[in-house]
Amino acid sequence: MKRITYLLILVFGLGLSSQLWAQDNLTPERKQAIDSLALEKVKDLSKYISIIGDKETPWSEANRVIDRAEELFMQGSEMGVSSLVKPEIKYYPVRKYFERLMRLNYNKVEIEWYDIEYVSDLQRQPDGTYVGVITVFQKFKGYDKEGRLIYQDTTKKDITVYVKRKETQIGGRLIGFWDVLLGDIRVKETTL
Amino acid sequence: MVKNREKMKKSATLMSRLLMLSLVVIIAMGGATSCKSKKKLAREKAEAEYQAKVAQAKKDLTAMLNDETNWTLPEKQERLKTIKSYNIDDQDVKDLIVKVEAKLKEEERAAEEARLKKKEEEMSNKLRRKYQLIVYTLDNIAKAKNFDEANNQIEGALNLYATPDVPVLIIISKNKGYNDYDRPTTISKFMNYLKDTKKFNYDIESAKYNDDGKITELELIKK
Repeated sequence: MKRITYLLILVFGLGLSSQLWAQDNLTPERKQAIDSLALEKVKDLSKYISIIGDKETPWSEANRVIDRAEELFMQGSEMGVSSLVKPEIKYYPVRKYFERLMRLNYNKVEIEWYDIEYVSDLQRQPDGTYVGVITVFQKFKGYDKEGRLIYQDTTKKDITVYVKRKETQIGGRLIGFWDVLLGDIRVKETTL
Repeated sequence: MVKNREKMKKSATLMSRLLMLSLVVIIAMGGATSCKSKKKLAREKAEAEYQAKVAQAKKDLTAMLNDETNWTLPEKQERLKTIKSYNIDDQDVKDLIVKVEAKLKEEERAAEEARLKKKEEEMSNKLRRKYQLIVYTLDNIAKAKNFDEANNQIEGALNLYATPDVPVLIIISKNKGYNDYDRPTTISKFMNYLKDTKKFNYDIESAKYNDDGKITELELIKK
């Protein structure tokens, strides 16, 4: 009986360790896939910001996109906002930032994110979460009723990304997935 | 006189007996010679037949070995079986049999591989055709020129699915039978995602259907 118990413990232990291995010992290919996934989430955010900021986006669509954009973030995350006319950087909860963005006092807004890349690669933390920092450059342009460019700036922002392995049951199957969540977005510098 | 006659009679009887005996001996000897010759002929014939069989076996085995026949694989296997059944005691034939056996085994393996590949391709083509509609509808959402057009596409495309909440699994990497997924989403959210990002860079990995032919689960893989 004791032997059977030991055997069961061994088999269970092996199964568990192989599962842990699957999530901990990432091959370069798997690591690259996760890096790309996190980068893509930031690119998705850039598209959402551009849609939310676009004055031609229908109100219902903008609100829907705000919901989607908010889902990209960890709870309590903040977005830094800067301006060439004010020296201080203000931080808003992401939902508030998106809502403000939707109501910006310009007739037309163009927001473009470019040079999106890692400044700090995803590193595994003791709790199994991978944390990295992605930097982006945001080009903001605001136009008046006459279509004149009345404000523009370029802001360098750092986004902390958290990637954690999670599991969920779908159709009776246990699916292991990588949950990418964005953290605070910090303003690094603002230029013309 | 009488004595003389009896002597003569005896001599005649003896002569006739001797004659008879000679005849019997001659006949017997003659018959035996003829029988011996027939056996020899039969043996010679059998030997010739055997040699012809050996020669034909060598010829066929060599032809099979060098791919010089028009026979199908089952025909070759049958011919090899027949040759083996002869139990030919000839080292050349024995060596050829070993070689041909190995060659036919390899051909059989290759034929099975080709059959499976063909079956897989047929299956894959069948699935591709089946998945074509899914790809077409999702791609159209991504290519829509504005929100209204995309929303119309979404409304139509959702008819393929059991509910708007059908789970969508996205494989980000496949490694040694182990899949890494993105956070699972629903088909409705995924369609809106395509509308927002304006790109559909996925292949269909699998789709599950219910009895009404509606999709109940969609598994995609990033290109």
